[in-house]
Amino acid sequence: MVNLTITKRDGAREQFNADKINRSIERACQGLTDPISMVTQIASETQLTLYDGITTEEMDIATINAAVQNIKEDIEYDKVAVRLLLKTVYRRVIGEYNDNPTELAAKYRTRFAEYVREGIASGLLDTRMAEKYDLEALAASLMIERDEIFTYAGLSSLLDRYALKNTKQKPAETPQYFFMRIAMGLAYNEANPTEMAQKFYDRMSQHLYVAGGSTNLAAGTPRPALSNCFLLEVHDDMDHIAKSVADVLKLSKASGGIGVSVTKLRAAGSPLKSSNTVSSGPTPFAKIMDTAIRAVQRGGKKKGALCFYMENWHYDFPEYIDWKHNAGDDYLRMRTANTAVYLSDDFMRRVEQQEDWYMFDPKETPDLNELYGKEFAKRYAEYIEMAKRGELRMWKKVPATEQWHQILTALQSTSHPWLTWKDPINLRALNNNTGTIHMSNLCTEICLPQSKDSVAVCNLASLNLAGHIEGRQLNWHKLEESVRLAIRQLDNLIDINTLPIPEAVKGDQENRAIGLGVMGFADALEQLGMAYESGHAADFSDRVFEFVSYMAIDESANLARERGVYKHFEGSRWSKGMVPVDSIAALEEDRGISTGMKRESRNKQLNWDALREKVKGGMRNATLMAVAPNANIGLVAGTTPGIDPRFAQVFSRNKISGKYMDINHNLVKDLKNMGIWDEVKEKIVEQQGDISSIPEIPSYLKQIYKTSFSTSPYAFIEVAARAQKWVDQALSRNMYLESRDMNEMKNVYMAAWKQGLKTTYYLHMKPRHTAEQSTTSVNKMAITGKRGFANVVAQPVFANEEPVASPIQMSPVQVPEMVPVKAEAVSTEVPQPATRGFAAVADQGALPITPAMQEVLPVTASSPSSAPTALAVGAVTALAVAPTEEVSRMGFATVGEASVSEPATPAPALAQAPVQAKKAFVCPVDPAERAQCDACQ
Amino acid sequence: MLVGKATPDDMNLHPIKYQWAYDLYNQAVRNTWFPHEIALKEDLDDWQKMTDDERHAVKFLMAFFNPAELIVNRSIALGVYPYLKSAECHLYLAKQMWEEANHCVAFEYVLQTFPFNRDEVFAIHLQTPSMLAKEAYINKYMKRMMEDSLDIETPEGKKDFIRNLVATNIVMEGIWFYSGFMVALSFRQRNQLRNLGSMINWVIRDESLHLKFGINLIHNILEENAELVSADFAQEIAGIIVEGVNLETAYNKDLFPHGILGLNADYVNQYVQYVADRRLEELGLPKHYNVTNPAKWMTTSTDVFELVNFFEAQNTNYEVDSGKH
Repeated sequence: MVNLTITKRDGAREQFNADKINRSIERACQGLTDPISMVTQIASETQLTLYDGITTEEMDIATINAAVQNIKEDIEYDKVAVRLLLKTVYRRVIGEYNDNPTELAAKYRTRFAEYVREGIASGLLDTRMAEKYDLEALAASLMIERDEIFTYAGLSSLLDRYALKNTKQKPAETPQYFFMRIAMGLAYNEANPTEMAQKFYDRMSQHLYVAGGSTNLAAGTPRPALSNCFLLEVHDDMDHIAKSVADVLKLSKASGGIGVSVTKLRAAGSPLKSSNTVSSGPTPFAKIMDTAIRAVQRGGKKKGALCFYMENWHYDFPEYIDWKHNAGDDYLRMRTANTAVYLSDDFMRRVEQQEDWYMFDPKETPDLNELYGKEFAKRYAEYIEMAKRGELRMWKKVPATEQWHQILTALQSTSHPWLTWKDPINLRALNNNTGTIHMSNLCTEICLPQSKDSVAVCNLASLNLAGHIEGRQLNWHKLEESVRLAIRQLDNLIDINTLPIPEAVKGDQENRAIGLGVMGFADALEQLGMAYESGHAADFSDRVFEFVSYMAIDESANLARERGVYKHFEGSRWSKGMVPVDSIAALEEDRGISTGMKRESRNKQLNWDALREKVKGGMRNATLMAVAPNANIGLVAGTTPGIDPRFAQVFSRNKISGKYMDINHNLVKDLKNMGIWDEVKEKIVEQQGDISSIPEIPSYLKQIYKTSFSTSPYAFIEVAARAQKWVDQALSRNMYLESRDMNEMKNVYMAAWKQGLKTTYYLHMKPRHTAEQSTTSVNKMAITGKRGFANVVAQPVFANEEPVASPIQMSPVQVPEMVPVKAEAVSTEVPQPATRGFAAVADQGALPITPAMQEVLPVTASSPSSAPTALAVGAVTALAVAPTEEVSRMGFATVGEASVSEPATPAPALAQAPVQAKKAFVCPVDPAERAQCDACQ
Repeated sequence: MLVGKATPDDMNLHPIKYQWAYDLYNQAVRNTWFPHEIALKEDLDDWQKMTDDERHAVKFLMAFFNPAELIVNRSIALGVYPYLKSAECHLYLAKQMWEEANHCVAFEYVLQTFPFNRDEVFAIHLQTPSMLAKEAYINKYMKRMMEDSLDIETPEGKKDFIRNLVATNIVMEGIWFYSGFMVALSFRQRNQLRNLGSMINWVIRDESLHLKFGINLIHNILEENAELVSADFAQEIAGIIVEGVNLETAYNKDLFPHGILGLNADYVNQYVQYVADRRLEELGLPKHYNVTNPAKWMTTSTDVFELVNFFEAQNTNYEVDSGKH
């Protein structure tokens, strides 16, 4: 490029220096398998995107982006992107270190105490962060090399989403400072804060467990609102509705996700005593909240998030089903909030028995919301009789199967309402002495009671199961340590937490509810060589969750001995020596049918009877486990979220922090070990991450690496049901369906209920139609089964009017050690596009253009099977290999028309300029790869 | 026959002769979306932080797309729909025209939400020679379709039909729009204008279908009218496409007079050439440019399934026809 200048941070301009960029990329590629070609690739692609006057900061981003867009070629580019990104963070947070690792390490530590003190001075950090700790000791325990264990998407999310920001909104902490901040922010009240912070830090910095989002945002800050979930119900009076709107605003600001039950609100048309008019029903009030949450930036990062809950016997439930429909009156639709339906066992039974389902005005049936199980069914039947006798003002009925159908069709087309079940939630609750649980939360993993003066609060962290796999085994001892520390950390949180409304403080303090989750389940299965859709995976789920449950309970009981029991312990099922798995009996007894779940232990070393005795003696927390979806912290830890299967082997995530490619590193490593990665990588993208039809990949890998749409939905249910046995709250069970068959869908959700799932979460439907792919070879002619003009045209013989002057062509990357490979070698190794074009040409050989040959192209003489090679070969020959040979000008070299030959036509613009820069490119040796190589074309 | 003067027989949907058209119609109905499903608030925050050149690019795109959607509709209404005999195709085109209208309104929604000087943006396409040239190109082929001398029953009339279809469907929708989409999506790739990106996802989903329809239509017409398939005509069609690329090349220089992070005119033009080669091949014509796709990041942007965290972004994967099974 002519005169490319860079705008430096101080505004001064300097001449672009390719050498400088190359050196910096080189350092980021150190120790990787093929650093030289990686440097070339990144440098040349960076230069493609530069423009005159680009800022230094933009240049950094351009380099990172060039690395990132190659991750699909080789996951080692991910490592490079991580290092390049870290460098920008280090420069900002730690200062200049002249690319010297020793200098960096020293400054990394000395800077730590300054980071804390400056943070306190500027109001970003709590004064306790200095008062309570030996900062020198903490700085000494920072494990700087752990900055590199991130994936690019993980590091980028962490920085963008969770890291403290400076006044320019840029991340103001390194990853290790970040983890240390969380650890310190949760250890103030320990006897030895420094020592305990080191222990928490050691776990989190290895991603063995990760704190919940709110904790990551606010721990260590002067306003530590650390809770993730709030669950509140709206009562049927105007004052409480107004207060609830205000509460929603305040809780959103405190960065929590919110569940709101609107079941108690009287129906539209229900009389208002005060004015002899009628109520407008729940919808307009819900709309206020839907709008309210848009106004709040949670933790400054994301808008509020809320899920409404309604029981399906509510008179306005049919309207509720439409809340998420994309068409219709905007005032009757929730654009931001989500919806879930809270179903009773009685409803499910009526669906099965094909009975009627009645809907009532809660004003007339106020106790239904408080009842569950058989008691609900009994009272509900009484109301039906009252309705039949004409004793109720408002009621209506539909066949239960019809409403079931409506719910599921809405779920399929709008992804709402999510299905959750009131009775297993309440019948299995160990904290059943504190009132009815009227809803779950935003992510359907929390099961806590609420009332007018108590808002339920839950505090989350998630274990990373994949992080505990060592040498193809789960390290149970390490897992136990992680569980115990995570439980302690979560319990600490409650005494540090500051919440914006007194009802939430009350709910938090009195129940000390925590939810330890598990993520990386599918990742762990892959590393252990198990298919998600297998009995082994289900058994593994059973064993893991039993173990985690046992250790979590034991640790909470230990904490009770150290710190005292939670306020409502007496009278809870815990105090009677019950553990979660024991509550299955209560559910099955009430239902009168079995869930099919076995209750015996699968871990010989665990002594549940001893634990039951210990539990009787006191528990520190009302609840202990909840498996959150981990859509963000799973990404940060570079593992699969929650108990979800792999969405696909390659897919994209649309996140607040950006759109990231997710490629399954486990699969890539397996394919690399087999030596077939380069052969199949394009096909995997072409197949949108589904490897099942790629012949080169052995079938046993296809069993392990299925996509979420090709995995049986019953496998999702089985894995969750096994885990649910041991989990006292619930699991965010994402569902994925390929089929849109309604009967199949009904069977799936009926099975989920029968096997004792408390909740399901988001439903992902496989798209039937997606946008045209851009980076794979696509030819829509193939699907038409037609040949179009292919019968009558021959070679690409246009002369290029105006070559695209890519900057890269002007300033080839100079990487001296490059070994040039001759281009000619390739001409017969061109990829075969999946098209049928050019069939006619194919028969004629299609090598260098000779008009005479083309004159005789008969339409019928085509041979589709041999066509593709010819197409590509023709192209390559004409354009790259022999630019000095005849390249005709104008038009198609078509039937009966001799093209004008013109010697020495300028070489056409090719994509990658290094092609033309003689020493600047290493061409691959592998023929398949070489076919993709631009230099070789 | 697909092309010709419609007779009363052509008013019957059944028996369905062109199943592909009917299938595309049904898929199009499932793809229905509305602009108001997307909230743009966060994008406005991004706007505040954007450089002048970045803002220029966004405005310029809007200035092109907003009228362009209407021009496509005119071309369909005046140059395509009247000359087709197939009821299935009419169904599809009716849905496509609604989609173009919806896109126009979607861009209108963006124009009204962003702090643009709207008169200024509306005037850009009238004042910018490179944009006027693009519109004139489309009008040239469309105008012919409205002339009394056109007899659709003759081979020459059918050729005119295909010329117009290629200009509108292949060049405008299949090349120019795709180039604009790539530019719009590049902002999201840098985590800017994410919600506009979601909207563009939907527009691309629609446009991919329009293109499928157009390519199917051309192939089927060529098959039914073998006399049209000649070397001369093939060359002429390729020439129409190349002409379109040249116009886009000039336009992109106005879109990026300087370049922004990650994009400059040369980069976009290489992408245009890449897409144009694909269109040529899809018609059975040889590639003309033989360039690679410079925007490798489009794999992440459009080529693989997207997993949306529902409370972070609009899920653009949903389809609206469940319950019909």
